Amino acid sequence: MCDVDTPEHKQPLDTRLERKRVPGKCIKCKTAKPNVTIRGCLYCKPCFVSASIVKFRGALKKSNSRIDAQRRQQNGVSEPQRLMVALSGGPSSTAMLHLVVDYQQSVTQRSGDFVQPPYADIVVGHIDESALFDVAEGAVRSIADGRTFCEASLEDIFSASADRDVLLQIVRASMASEQQQQNGGGFCAQIIRNSDNNTPPRERLRQLFSALDSDTSRESLLDAIRTFLLVRLARAHHCSVLLLGDSATRIATRVVSLTSCGRGFSLPFEIAPESSWFDGVTMIRPMRDFIAKEVAFFNRWAGYTSVVVPTFTTGAPVHASIDRLSETFVVGLDRDFASTVSTVCRTVQKLEPRADALAACPCIVCGMPAEPDAQDWRSRLTVGQAAAPALSSAGFDISSHLCYSCQNILHFSESGDRGGLVLPGFCVERIRDHAVSRPSASSDAEQHEALRRQVEQFFLNSDDEDDDCE
Amino acid sequence: MPRQCEICHEARAVLKRPKTGQRICQACFFRVFETEVHNTITSSQLFRPGDRVGIGASGGKDSTVLAYVMKLLNERYNYGLSLFLLSVDEGISGYRDDSLETVKRNKEQYGLPLMIVSYEQLYGWSMDSIVEAVGRKNNCTFCGVFRRQALDRGALLLDLDHIVTGHNADDLAETILMNIFRGDIPRLTRCTSIATKGDGYIVRSKPFKYAYEKEIVMYAYLRRLDYFSTECTYSPNAYRGYARVFLKDLEALRPSTILDIIHTGERLQVAGDVVLPEASVCEKCGYISSNRVCKACVLLEGLERGLPKMGIGRVTAAAASAGEDEAERQSIRPRKPVEQVHFAELAERAARMRSERRACETSSCAGTGCAGPQQCAGTACTESQCTAAAQTTTHHDPLGK
Repeated sequence: MCDVDTPEHKQPLDTRLERKRVPGKCIKCKTAKPNVTIRGCLYCKPCFVSASIVKFRGALKKSNSRIDAQRRQQNGVSEPQRLMVALSGGPSSTAMLHLVVDYQQSVTQRSGDFVQPPYADIVVGHIDESALFDVAEGAVRSIADGRTFCEASLEDIFSASADRDVLLQIVRASMASEQQQQNGGGFCAQIIRNSDNNTPPRERLRQLFSALDSDTSRESLLDAIRTFLLVRLARAHHCSVLLLGDSATRIATRVVSLTSCGRGFSLPFEIAPESSWFDGVTMIRPMRDFIAKEVAFFNRWAGYTSVVVPTFTTGAPVHASIDRLSETFVVGLDRDFASTVSTVCRTVQKLEPRADALAACPCIVCGMPAEPDAQDWRSRLTVGQAAAPALSSAGFDISSHLCYSCQNILHFSESGDRGGLVLPGFCVERIRDHAVSRPSASSDAEQHEALRRQVEQFFLNSDDEDDDCE
Repeated sequence: MPRQCEICHEARAVLKRPKTGQRICQACFFRVFETEVHNTITSSQLFRPGDRVGIGASGGKDSTVLAYVMKLLNERYNYGLSLFLLSVDEGISGYRDDSLETVKRNKEQYGLPLMIVSYEQLYGWSMDSIVEAVGRKNNCTFCGVFRRQALDRGALLLDLDHIVTGHNADDLAETILMNIFRGDIPRLTRCTSIATKGDGYIVRSKPFKYAYEKEIVMYAYLRRLDYFSTECTYSPNAYRGYARVFLKDLEALRPSTILDIIHTGERLQVAGDVVLPEASVCEKCGYISSNRVCKACVLLEGLERGLPKMGIGRVTAAAASAGEDEAERQSIRPRKPVEQVHFAELAERAARMRSERRACETSSCAGTGCAGPQQCAGTACTESQCTAAAQTTTHHDPLGK
């Protein structure tokens, strides 16, 4: 913990002995005039910057050692991995990129014996969201500072050659048939056929987002797509570790908004310090101990510039979406009840995924575990009554492949006018992958095979196109 | 043009359902509301036939609707429950005395037996006298802690198997959020379960766990139920206030949020290596407590000794008395201390009542008629008697009334 580069601000070996504060002076060096208050402690500029570096490395090393231990258990050895830093260009991810590069250099530049660098290589991964928002061209690339810059665009989900997009029909509670109601209806979604490929991907992406009912749903879907693309990008560049720049403030906000969206089943995966839910890619959140204020001051004093990352609720009032509302609420509560942010973060770290979540099949939209009884739960508590049946027999029912929260998103979407919602091909791919990779118990094997055959039709090459259309 | 009900497609829609946003008619609203409560009760198997169930009745909207719906469902679906109204009189003039009048009217309207236990009688202190002693700040701590015990004591006096309370979905969602904000892991996992056996004596449950507050109000309004709607005259809980405002904002954004938060709460699981406090029993009164002496006894001792700050926040007896001025201590009116009945004794009494009642049932079982072994399970009634008696159709009242 003591390998900070600037020797004049070295941390004392045993900080406990020097805990005594000098009133009106920096808590670390006890001599300089303080410049900032963080959680009731005063820091001068240089001490704050070096303390931030120490904190970041501490969090990263802790995560690394946990992952290493896991890896050793599985493979026996642990080699330095290739690392991808997810960079949106915002303050937190910018700080993270600089901090991790600085860490790598400080280890390799250490004179004397040969030291193995912590990572085989560090590359930057960025998702281009210009299809939905106005972003300054090249601004993010300049932050990457000459590092290998891997980029994917949001619309890529529709243009990837291998996957074919699918048309989804949503049947709402008031339209579902009696039988579906009894089978845990309330809401039903089915894939009807492959969609026609004549709309440009960018346009199709916009259509998908404009079909959703609220900015809350749009944010959730954007989150899901971004995660999917980042994981795919990391895999494509052989990076087994993906760094995400969620700060403590962001994590606390997400906990509240995920809770409010009904994502309790997958919550432990989505905010964990490290998570290996996606095969082959471990996500780490090394900025988890920084509150937003610390990130801002660190960037300012370390001289790093970030860009403004627009979202659906940029410049919008507080009540624009659940995420926006949660953010305002968390920040406000933290002001009135000090350390609410860190309390929330510590609380959720004591949660663990349930056993059935680890074995659950992934939601086809967000990729997170989908609880098997979500439909039942809902229909028991929102009783409606059946009316005319509206499901087509050729379709494939995906209701059980959606998590509770994504059911909400689709339930309220406007799929009527174009005859359905066009979902990207990765949705079907997820069902197939799950059916192939986890033919669990023998009793389930047949079911899995049947499932695989059912979705297989959506992957046929263009020559059978006519067959899958009704 | 009048809008059709989205559920039955026949009647005219008169309301927009807060939970789903559907526009439905009054009959459908009653039906879905009642069915959802019934589903909640059956899916979590809350009751067994013959259970004696107390309805925690304050006279407010939630408990009034609960009493009405419980009676209705008990008759409609033959739960076979004996229902009681159980009220706690905190002794707040201008609030509780008026609301208890409502409960007394409910007793007549629904034909349910009513029992009122008062703080004055149990602890020797009414809320009014507590507020006089401790001031307006922190008095909700006393009220909350005492109420919990008072309900259990009342239930044991009546020998109940079960208490149902009118906590609704909004309350539960607020609690989940609050426990996340405060980092209260033990409560976070406990608060979502529909029934708790925390006190070790009586099961407590909340059948309105999934019922929206707005729908409860609507139900009370449309059924023209007689309820009391005034806020407590003493200060409301500040921290809960934050969560409440936030929840209302969320609900305005997406009506399903309340249900979604509960869904989340139910799916959270605490890691196996997190140490949770162990439950033990208070050595003074026998009530469940995570400490040597339960909170109610600590608070009561503080009151009796004239140190009302004791037990609030992190103040210990020594710290509380240290700064106290002798004159100030005497300014609190000394009261006649009330001897609290130990919970073990209450439980013993309840068991005695039960066996007496069963003895009475058994004799009547052999003589008149019994629905079957189900009703007199565990009593001296032999199987042959039951099967013979099952021929007759008359049911006897398990209360022996």
